[in-house]
Amino acid sequence: MRNPTSHPGADQQWQDLLGQLRRQPAPQPRPFFYARVQARLSAQRATPLPWLPGWLRRPAYAALLGMLVLAMSGDGAALRAAPTASHPSQLPQPFPR
Amino acid sequence: MTYSLPLRAALAEPPAPSGGADAELVAQLQRGDEAAFRTLVLRFQDQVYRTVYSLLRSAEDAEDVAQEVFVEVHQTIARFRGDATLSTWLYRLATSRALQHRRRQQARRRFAFFTSFLGFANETLPEPPDHAHPQALLEGAQQLHLLQQHIGRLPAQQQVAFTLRYEQELRYDEIAAVLDTSVAAVESLLYRARHTLRQHLQPASRHA
Repeated sequence: MRNPTSHPGADQQWQDLLGQLRRQPAPQPRPFFYARVQARLSAQRATPLPWLPGWLRRPAYAALLGMLVLAMSGDGAALRAAPTASHPSQLPQPFPR
Repeated sequence: MTYSLPLRAALAEPPAPSGGADAELVAQLQRGDEAAFRTLVLRFQDQVYRTVYSLLRSAEDAEDVAQEVFVEVHQTIARFRGDATLSTWLYRLATSRALQHRRRQQARRRFAFFTSFLGFANETLPEPPDHAHPQALLEGAQQLHLLQQHIGRLPAQQQVAFTLRYEQELRYDEIAAVLDTSVAAVESLLYRARHTLRQHLQPASRHA
């Protein structure tokens, strides 16, 4: 495995780079940050809670759920139930030898 | 590797104030005092914004997520139990929200690529530019930019630990409190992060 500290002066270069990272000007939010937070809170209070879960409000999931419901609610025409073997004549006959 | 401090966990253990001032502030917040909320935002907005910015490297996203953090605080302060300091709690929320935001962004980018590939949409989210040209790396600023890019590619926990240590200058025990882990685990995370970053940056240094 390559040793990243093998290069002479590598430690010094690394420390310099970390120093540069620390000396970066500290980013600050734009003025009136509190006002924007308040506006966001007010907007959230004004929005009623959705009555459907988030995932169901996505068209792809809703369509998938719809297809699943359709597939599960067939009228049985496609898949007929196997005949009951209550009568001997209804039993499958063996092939003649 | 996934980040071991999901937002739900962070919210489940709201913090205790470190000192009397924070305790009083929290008590006022729990009574629904809007002036106390204003004080909280003004006191911690720089800390939260800087933390989020150092994980996302975008002013627009940092603003959005920092707002989200304070909205979350406003909505969940009633469940504040006091297992950590107010500052630690805010760091937890800020890092969790920032990472969550980044995951959503990456998912959107993948989805945009997928839809453009199928011809559903013609727009894709731009990838951040890569300035890896050796000539450009001679510049100190470019080297720093390269370091920031590689920090962004670290596993989530290593990235949070590294950022809190080298950009926010938190102590090891403070980072351990934010990540809800031990000091030894933080040392290990930082060691691995430094090793990975130096491996990536070493060829550039040697070239320069």
